[in-house]
Amino acid sequence: MSVLDMRDVRKVYRSGDADIIALDHATLQVDHGEIVALLGPSGSGKTTLLSIAGGLLTPTEGTVVVDGHDISAYNAKQLTEFRRENVGFVFQSVNLVPFLNAEENLLVVDELGGGKGGKTAKGRARQLLEELGLGSRMRNLPAQLSGGERQRVAIGRALFNNPKLVLFDEPTSALDTKIGAQVMELIRTEMKSRDTAAVIVTHDSRMTDYADRTVRIVDGRLTTNSAEATATH
Amino acid sequence: MFLALKEMRRAKVRFGLLAGAVGLLVFLILFQQALLTGLINQFIGALKNQSGEVLVYNGQARKNLDGSIILPDQQAAIAEVEGVAVASPFGQATFTVTADGDETDAVIFGYQLGNPGEPTTLISGRLPEGADEAVASEKDADAGFALGDVVRVEPGGASITIVGVARDINYSVAPVLFVDFATFEAAKRTRNPDAAAILPSAIAIEVAAGSTPAQVAARINDQVDGVEALTRQEAVDGSPGVSSVRTSFAIILGLFYLVVPLVTGLFFLIVTFQKASALTLLRAIGAPARTLVWSLLVQVFIVMTIGSVIAFGLYAGAIQGVSNLGIHVEVMPAVITSVVVLALALLTSLVAVRRVLRLDPLSATTGAGIAL
Repeated sequence: MSVLDMRDVRKVYRSGDADIIALDHATLQVDHGEIVALLGPSGSGKTTLLSIAGGLLTPTEGTVVVDGHDISAYNAKQLTEFRRENVGFVFQSVNLVPFLNAEENLLVVDELGGGKGGKTAKGRARQLLEELGLGSRMRNLPAQLSGGERQRVAIGRALFNNPKLVLFDEPTSALDTKIGAQVMELIRTEMKSRDTAAVIVTHDSRMTDYADRTVRIVDGRLTTNSAEATATH
Repeated sequence: MFLALKEMRRAKVRFGLLAGAVGLLVFLILFQQALLTGLINQFIGALKNQSGEVLVYNGQARKNLDGSIILPDQQAAIAEVEGVAVASPFGQATFTVTADGDETDAVIFGYQLGNPGEPTTLISGRLPEGADEAVASEKDADAGFALGDVVRVEPGGASITIVGVARDINYSVAPVLFVDFATFEAAKRTRNPDAAAILPSAIAIEVAAGSTPAQVAARINDQVDGVEALTRQEAVDGSPGVSSVRTSFAIILGLFYLVVPLVTGLFFLIVTFQKASALTLLRAIGAPARTLVWSLLVQVFIVMTIGSVIAFGLYAGAIQGVSNLGIHVEVMPAVITSVVVLALALLTSLVAVRRVLRLDPLSATTGAGIAL
């Protein structure tokens, strides 16, 4: 069974009398441990797809099943709980809580889930940060970390709850090429070692080298055929 | 709780400054309230802290004890009114006295021993048990009105020994002596030896079981001509100058009660705007809105509590420095003020709460406001 199973998903926004189709009958399955790169130009609908997959947005039509949870008709409260328990997010920009240090940015996930940041949670946070090469930076605030380090902390936070699916939204867009490549390598290593599925949204085709599969999106429509996508575009 | 405390720990200066500002503002409220109480006590503490539950004035006195006399037939009629357990003469006049070798003005209150009109805030010594004994105000102890001091009514009148000291019994900002009615009469005759009779200024009433002071005052006003009966609180509130002092202070205090929560509410609104990116991120990764609201309210509570503690410390210190004003540190009014200010601050922080509740977790994907 796929970790992410999206079928015929549409997202339509109403603007005055016109309908704007952000996602048009998108169907996408991602298996355990599979890394899918979602490649498309700006405004193509890739972030909309990612948001629907992660429960940040509800589809207008279609079904979305994540790790066995059909979230298509979840209400806001259910989606909040779903996001907390079942998916990890790494957003485009620096995405840490500025008044929490690196370790606490991971522990906040435990706190939000009703944990008390106890010994087990702290042990896991430290282990994750060690794995991500941040063993000596645990007590540093985000402002004291470099761009690459911040993204690594964000990856740690996304993995903290052992989700089956992690969603990356342009994770390297704020990094230089070298650091970006390092982060992508790290993402691949971490996902594969945990058998965690990942969808990585990017507009940089070089990043697709780190994915098992590349899916293109243009005008809200998905295709795996680059030629077709180019023709459509 | 985790988020609230961590943020405060990392922004000690910011939250410390707010707590300090709140502390100063709450201190001003506490100090002005104490000043108001002190002023009122100095003006009419003797009325406020005597045992008569109802005071009956001459109807033309306009609630002013200085201009009031009660005639014997009025006193007799008052005593007959239903609900009056005891109706006792209550005299008041200002005299020149010699205390600690200096001549000064003092207000002498005369009451029948054991009857309504005696001081109720005795803190040392005892009540008078016979002629030429008095209870004086604690505030005037250093001016020759301490326990054991002897005060002479001028010119050449009785020597009155201070046998008790009571708190907050001044009148018209002058020292006060509570004496038995016979001593009061003697003092009046010192000044006017030819007076045919010494009439009481008012009648102090003890209310019988089953009636309230308000009911008894209303009945007296209905049934006895030429008098105005007031409950003790009405007598205090109606005394000349008291209501205007209260109104002035009420306006000042009202402004402070408005400013403190507004400052707090505004601060938390600004902070909420400043950290909107972090809050959006937290919502995106699954933080329930109630967790973030709770975190905000915990911070308001902590800031206001610390502010109140700072305020109480300043208030206690300042009161010690102005003890000659006859004001005291009172814990309960300070606690009530702190609770009221906290409640108002929580109320004004609802604007920030509303802002938190309106955060859209989807904004995390746009990068809007996510930057540190």
